[in-house]
Amino acid sequence: MSYFLSLLVSGISIGFVYGLIALGFVIIFKATRVVNFTHAAIALFGAYVVARTHESLGFWLALLVGIAAAIVVNVAIDVVVLGNARRPDPGTLSIITIGLDILIGAELRRQIGFQTYGLGDPWGTGVIRVGGSFIPQTRVAAAVIAIVVIVLFALVFRFSNWGVAMRAASEDPEAAALMGVRLRRVSIAAWIVAGALATLAGVFFLTFPGGGVSNLAELAILGAFPAAIIGGLDSTGGAVAGGVLVGMTVTFAAGYQNEIAFLGRGVHEAAPFILMFIVLLIRPTGLFGTKELHRV
Amino acid sequence: MIAETAATEKTGPSTDITLRVRDLHVSYGGAVRALDGVDLEVPRDSIVAVLGNNGAGKSSLLRTISGTLSMHGGSIVKGTVEFEGGSLDGIDPAGVVRAGVVQVPEGRRIFGELTVEENLRVAALATEDRRQRTAARERVYDLFPRLAERRSQRGSLLSGGEQQMLAIGRALMTSPRLLLLDEPSLGLAPNLVGHIAEVITDINRQGISVLIVEQDAAMALDIAAWAYVLEVGRVALEGRSQELANSPEIHDAYLGGQLTVEKDVVRPEPEEREARGLRIENLSIRFGGVKALDDVSFVVDPGTIHAVIGPNGAGKSTLINVLTGVYTADRGRVLFGDAELTAMRPHQIGGIGVSRTFQNIALSPDASVADNLMLGRHRLTRAGFFGSGLRMPWAMREQRTHRSRVEEIAELVGLAGVLDEHAGNLAYGYQKLVELGRALSTEPNLLLLDEPVAGMSASESLEMATIIRQVQSELGVTMVVVEHNMPFVMGLASRVTVLDFGRLIADGPPGDVQRNPDVISAYLGGSGDREIRKALEREAGNG
Repeated sequence: MSYFLSLLVSGISIGFVYGLIALGFVIIFKATRVVNFTHAAIALFGAYVVARTHESLGFWLALLVGIAAAIVVNVAIDVVVLGNARRPDPGTLSIITIGLDILIGAELRRQIGFQTYGLGDPWGTGVIRVGGSFIPQTRVAAAVIAIVVIVLFALVFRFSNWGVAMRAASEDPEAAALMGVRLRRVSIAAWIVAGALATLAGVFFLTFPGGGVSNLAELAILGAFPAAIIGGLDSTGGAVAGGVLVGMTVTFAAGYQNEIAFLGRGVHEAAPFILMFIVLLIRPTGLFGTKELHRV
Repeated sequence: MIAETAATEKTGPSTDITLRVRDLHVSYGGAVRALDGVDLEVPRDSIVAVLGNNGAGKSSLLRTISGTLSMHGGSIVKGTVEFEGGSLDGIDPAGVVRAGVVQVPEGRRIFGELTVEENLRVAALATEDRRQRTAARERVYDLFPRLAERRSQRGSLLSGGEQQMLAIGRALMTSPRLLLLDEPSLGLAPNLVGHIAEVITDINRQGISVLIVEQDAAMALDIAAWAYVLEVGRVALEGRSQELANSPEIHDAYLGGQLTVEKDVVRPEPEEREARGLRIENLSIRFGGVKALDDVSFVVDPGTIHAVIGPNGAGKSTLINVLTGVYTADRGRVLFGDAELTAMRPHQIGGIGVSRTFQNIALSPDASVADNLMLGRHRLTRAGFFGSGLRMPWAMREQRTHRSRVEEIAELVGLAGVLDEHAGNLAYGYQKLVELGRALSTEPNLLLLDEPVAGMSASESLEMATIIRQVQSELGVTMVVVEHNMPFVMGLASRVTVLDFGRLIADGPPGDVQRNPDVISAYLGGSGDREIRKALEREAGNG
């Protein structure tokens, strides 16, 4: 029972980190209808910058530098590449991001080589005792910070001018423009927020269970993509819910891998995608995604 | 040179002209010419109307002014748009709004996920000055008390009339000096149209110039001082509204009055077609707490045109959706001949020859008109996946027969000239005809037309009526026409059923129905405050 509990807590906490990454996907999708495939690479990039600077700057300052670096890259992608596309329809732009993802990912793997960089986070290997089980401090810190960021984001999204403009632009870009909303600014703001979320999530994801920045890290982060889809690509709340679902699925599949060995070893790595298939079969727009409404 | 300078001096920047459009040429994708040298002026503090059929270039004109042309793949080939003496060329929509020009888009386009308050807030962001924002909000709530009552409701929950109010109110939040209105009366019941007209006049009195594009020419000419008539991208006519309203050309083309369709067209022998009647018995369906149809029974005689009319939300579209199997009735049944439609799946209903058109055009925009019509023939084709894919001789032969039938149908509905155009590139009126053509391509025994003339001018409606009548006399199909437009229906149908609140309130020949007091109060109503409130409530209750 205590094993189950510790898996549950650990699953939920990693779930919020997945949720953070998924939120970045969703926010760009809502603002621009672009499915941003560079997102996982950006998360890794931000974490990599933190990994390379924390020794000289200390963790917190390095984290800020990492976030700033990811924001710069994201804004460059939006302004330089997507802003100048000849056919700015979301489909074309999404495919451009696949190309960018390959570019950024390849360069990062080249830089990282076969090293594994630590992230210098202040939590180290400490554990907290909850009931009869032990939970790594990083997990708790990750969950707490992720929840704080998510709540903050939800408040801003709900009540700020930017949030209202963003939701309007997401629903009907042309009508929003006609009411004076600057679509370019909404889009840039979304890429900025996504860059910050990606770095934050990347760092937490790779401290534990990721075990540092290595050239396999991007693949692991990609597990957050199903989280966004499961929640519904255009639902911020759904991203968080999807993240928690994926987090628990992965953790339980890994925790009970002996019991489900008949499915094959390492099935937990595929688990988010299996969950995604099942959800999409039943609800094609994800759990909380808006249905394409069509009046006949 | 000298002459040119003189000309500039005469027409040069002046504070009396709010908007000046000069020699405007606009094209889409570099090919389709939408505007072809339009000159137009909106004097300060005035209301100017732009009339014209679908495809005349009205939308393109508004898009050019508001800066959204490029979003639709259009561009200015030549000409300028000046607002208060400054050029609007190359300014993006948000910049145009900040300059003081705002457009209320066609079809309202309010943000359904946002509350009424948030809808207004989005538009208020364009105004930097906090006090000005507050003043604008107060003015909007003053103008539309209804919006103040529902300020925390989500936009999608408002009725059509309330949504139009929100769309106008939202635009006013930007503190504009020029208001562009694109078809504000579209889809509204007549008494609400009257209310919107009063509101526009009110807004104008507060010192905001208005440029209004309308299908409802009577309404537009009533409130505007000056009007332009666009025809295929040019100004065909302009003048004082009063004079235009009295001119015979305008009267025939846009005001129409009573549509009188030649009822004795030369009648060729109707084709061999099984003329079956439709019998609707005690039909009821509810959505949540709302009764969309409440114990409705009527009969459609074989081979006739039968109209179903009623205000917004009366249950007209629901009825069509029950007839085609999209919705399942809670009670009652529908018999077509001896087939029980209420017990069949949509594709089975299509299979026995029941076909429909859609109110909000549902074509494949990237396919040619011919292919859209061929789609209608699907149920009649036999060549399978491999036969067609491998272009087997029998498949090609079948294709040719169907293609020649499609050409006949195109001829009948007046689409012969545009068979190879992409359906999405056609003007709205033509797309409505493609809808009709596709439905006819299925060789229907029962044809259901859902608002075939919504958003059309009087002359276009007349054309549509003529085509429908011709189809009926040549093919002898039983038809059910659902419409908003009274005159259209009165001239066309042999029998009319009136729905209100989901209940049947009248059923009979057009003349009788028109005199029925229940119909007059439900449908035409007055335009006093109480009637407007009642109309809104009726809409909301049945939405």
